[in-house]
Order: sequence, then C-alpha cells, then structure tokens
Amino acid sequence: MEQAQAASPSAGKCPFTGQGAASLEGASLKDVMAHPNAFYQTLRSEAPVYFDAKLNMWLVSRYDDIVTVLRDPQTYSDKHGYAAMYANGYFEEFKQILERDGGGFFADAIKDDPPGHTRVRRLLENAFTAHRVATLEPGITRIIVELIEKLVEKGASGQVVDGVKDFAIPLTIRVICEQLGLAEFNADKIQAWSGAVTAQISKMQDREQMLGNAAQICDLQNFIIGEMKARQDQPREDMISDIVHAKLDDGSVLEFGEAVSLIRALIIAGNDTTATAIGNLMFVLATRPEVAKALQDSVDDDRLLNRFVEELLRIEPPVRGLAKMTTREVELGGVKLPAHAHLLVLYASGNDDETQFACPRNFDINRANIGKHVAFGVGVHRCVGASLSRMEIKVAAREISRRIADIKLAIPAEQIAYLPTVATRQIERLPITIKRR
Amino acid sequence: MGIKVTFVQADGVEKTIENIAPGESMMEIGRFNGVEGILGDCGGSCACATCHVYVDAAWEARAGKPDDVETSTLDMAPDVLPNSRLCCQIRLRDELDGLRVTVAPSF
Repeated sequence: MEQAQAASPSAGKCPFTGQGAASLEGASLKDVMAHPNAFYQTLRSEAPVYFDAKLNMWLVSRYDDIVTVLRDPQTYSDKHGYAAMYANGYFEEFKQILERDGGGFFADAIKDDPPGHTRVRRLLENAFTAHRVATLEPGITRIIVELIEKLVEKGASGQVVDGVKDFAIPLTIRVICEQLGLAEFNADKIQAWSGAVTAQISKMQDREQMLGNAAQICDLQNFIIGEMKARQDQPREDMISDIVHAKLDDGSVLEFGEAVSLIRALIIAGNDTTATAIGNLMFVLATRPEVAKALQDSVDDDRLLNRFVEELLRIEPPVRGLAKMTTREVELGGVKLPAHAHLLVLYASGNDDETQFACPRNFDINRANIGKHVAFGVGVHRCVGASLSRMEIKVAAREISRRIADIKLAIPAEQIAYLPTVATRQIERLPITIKRR
Repeated sequence: MGIKVTFVQADGVEKTIENIAPGESMMEIGRFNGVEGILGDCGGSCACATCHVYVDAAWEARAGKPDDVETSTLDMAPDVLPNSRLCCQIRLRDELDGLRVTVAPSF
C-alpha cells in the first residue's frame, strides 16, 4: 500500500500540521469524519478530484479547483447537486410526506441556479448588509452576555457545562428568532428542526431517520405557515413580514412556496452553522492555549478581533463540503468529469490548502491573505448571512474572553463526538469546565 | 448625458462606461459590464471585499473615505492602500462624472 507523503515543502516546519500519512486505497470521507485533515492533505497531493465510492461522489479538495467550481454555477449546478443529495435516496417518499402533512414540498429558492436564484438572492442581501448588521451589535451583545452569565454561574459552582448545548445553540437561535420576529419560540424544537433539515444533505440518513426527520420538517413548515398567515393581513416590523409582503426587483412577488422555503432557510441556516462556529471556538479555546492567548491579545481591538474571527473560520470552518452537479462533460483538476457527475466541494480542504495558506494548521491572525478562505463559499451562493455570522462569533469571542477563564474539556478530546454528516463538521456535545474571570 | 466612469483592470486594459444613471453603485456598473476583477459576490452588502479598487488621486476627495464598516471589510483584502475602496460602497452621482479607479489584485 502506498503511503502518501506530505506535499508541502514547509510541512515539516509547521508546529501544527494536522497531517500524516494516509492511504487513498478505498478511502472514503465517511471513514474519517471526525478528523479529516490528513485525508484532505492526501487528496490534495495525490488525487485532487477523487471519486469516493462509498459516497458515490467526486471530492474536490484543492483551493483553486474549488474556486473554479464555485465561480461557474452554470457548469457546476448547485440546484442539481443539492437535489441529488436531498433525502439520501428516499426523496419520493420524503416529498409525499411533506405534501401530505407539511403543507407541501417547497424546493429551496436559495439553492436554485441563476437566473432564478438571482431573483430572490437580492432580497436577502438587502436584509444582511454589513452596515445593517453593525447596528445589531448592542442587541446581540445583550443576548450573549446574558447566556454567558448563566453559563459562568453554573460553571463557578463546579458543574460541567456544555459549550454547544448550553451556549452556542441557544445563542444563535435567539439571534435569528429576534431577527425574524419570532417572539415566542421553543429552542429545543428549533434545534430538532435544524437537525432534521441539515440531515437531508448529510449523506448519512437511513430510511427510519428520514421518516423521523420528515415529521420534524412537517412540524417546522406548519409553524412557518402559521407565522406567515398571522402577518398576511397585519404586517409587523420583522423579517417574516418583509418576506410575506416582499416585492422583488423585477416587480414580481414571491410565490407562497418560495416564501416558506426562504423562511425555513433563514431559521435553519441562520442558527446551525454559526452555532457550529461558536462551538468550534469553545473547543479551540479549551485545547489550544496559543489561540486563547491570541484572543486575549485581540479582545480590545476591533480590527484584531475581526481577524481572529476570520482565522477561526479558516482553520475550523463549520461547512465541510457542499454538493454540485456537472451540467456537461468538463475537465477539473486534470480529471475528465462526465455530465451529471455529483461533486462534494470540500471547503474545509480549501481552507487547509498549503499552497494558499502557509502552515495551514497554525492559527495566525496576521496572515496577509486572511480573507481568502472559503468558509462562506465563493461566487453567487456565497453565504448571504456572513456579516451576521461574523458579528455573532466576534461578540461571543469577545465576551467569552472577558468573562470566562480556564476553559477545559471535561472529557478527553478523542471522545468529542461530531454529527454524522458530510456537509458540516459539527461538535454534538462539548462538556467543559469554566471559571469566572 | 449621464455619468462616465473608467476602470483600469489589473492587466492594464481600460474600460470606460458611459451614460450611467445616478444612484447605481460602482460595483454594479463594473460587474454588469464585465470588468475583470470586480466580482461583487455579496451583492453590495460590504461583506466580501471582492470589488476592491484604488481611486485615482484626482478623485479621492470626491469619492470619500471608507467608513468603519467598509474599513473592517477592506482589512480582509490583500494589498490595501490609503486610496483603497470597496466600490460597492461608491454610489454614483453627478459629482463623480469622470471617476477613474484601478482594480486591485484579487484574492
């Protein structure tokens, strides 16, 4: 069996390589979900466009190839890549359940290809500009400080707290619900709905899980439709009302199903990946003292703090990989792909590409190309909520650093479990001990 | 009539666009007219720094300086200079008729 060698000339000099020999023979992302970096490195050096037989997908791992794919949405269709992923082989049954019990099956308007996508994208861009998000900082800070104070109180009494379930998840759910105008919400339900929706692109869902998740999504959609109806005749000052009554740039209005799908996407995408990022933040602070030190040194300087957030997103991106499908035969990374080839674009590997980021496992907020990472994607589907996400992570990092000391894992790092999904790398539970600073 | 602007691409090619109505952003004009290096991924939300330009000296005062939010986003981009702007934040008006910018190297 051939052993892969580290390709980067600087690999030997980097204190944190996260790399090692890994063989590609029969290898699958499915087998290395918790600790994939060595696998990514081998892919990049040995087989940058690699057919993963267990996933039945082509893995795209080099930064340049990832950007090529994301900049050409006509050749590499987001819509078809997503659809082929959805429900993991049980799509027809899944769709019937939603039509019967969930008000209908509503395809994701944000996962359309241009020009359909362009029509609705604009609406969301206007809602999440960096300038508008800047005005939300005081409100987001209030939510985060309140959660941290509760966490610290519990932690100070010697109890183990959960950085994901007690902090990251409730935090992002509260922020997005406030934006949407959901005054009354059940955070446990929203968390369950998020899991059910994201499981559809996990590639890991069996039929029994599909049935459970479909029931959750029906519940979610019925909730959304109820909230929409409440705003139909009496609009409020909130984002759901804006969507229900939206007029698009081309003069058209949103169809009912488009509106449901957008609100669904906002609830789920608005909390899930940002919570993952904040969970990762907690994990990194608990396990890498030099990162905790970098945060301490940055906390009172907004510019440094912003760079800290970008480097965190680069080194521990919430999104692992999203799907595309070729619409024609095309050559990518030296491999001839047929039409309808199903690709998994490994954003996390792009962020780890040593040809772009020197010593990629080093946490370095002084990188000259700090904004080059692809954690938010690139091109027309670039994350529309990036500014909101950055703000939540920044305020969380700042307030954690100011209010919490001695974050330590309460279980061995090897026992940290990640959700079974190829789409994200998401810590399920993060038991930690903390002290009040 | 209308406003005229010029982009100098990284490869030296100049693209002049005329008859622009006031109110459009410089990024929209660049992207719509296929100016190389003006990507505008975030659609003008000041979130991605893919519309980075250098404003010609003669136009710096009229184009104005970036505000705090734009400065933060610009900091993510490479090769930032004192005359750097994200051109999604330059809204065209009559006063900017003749504006000339050079497209910054992309990421």
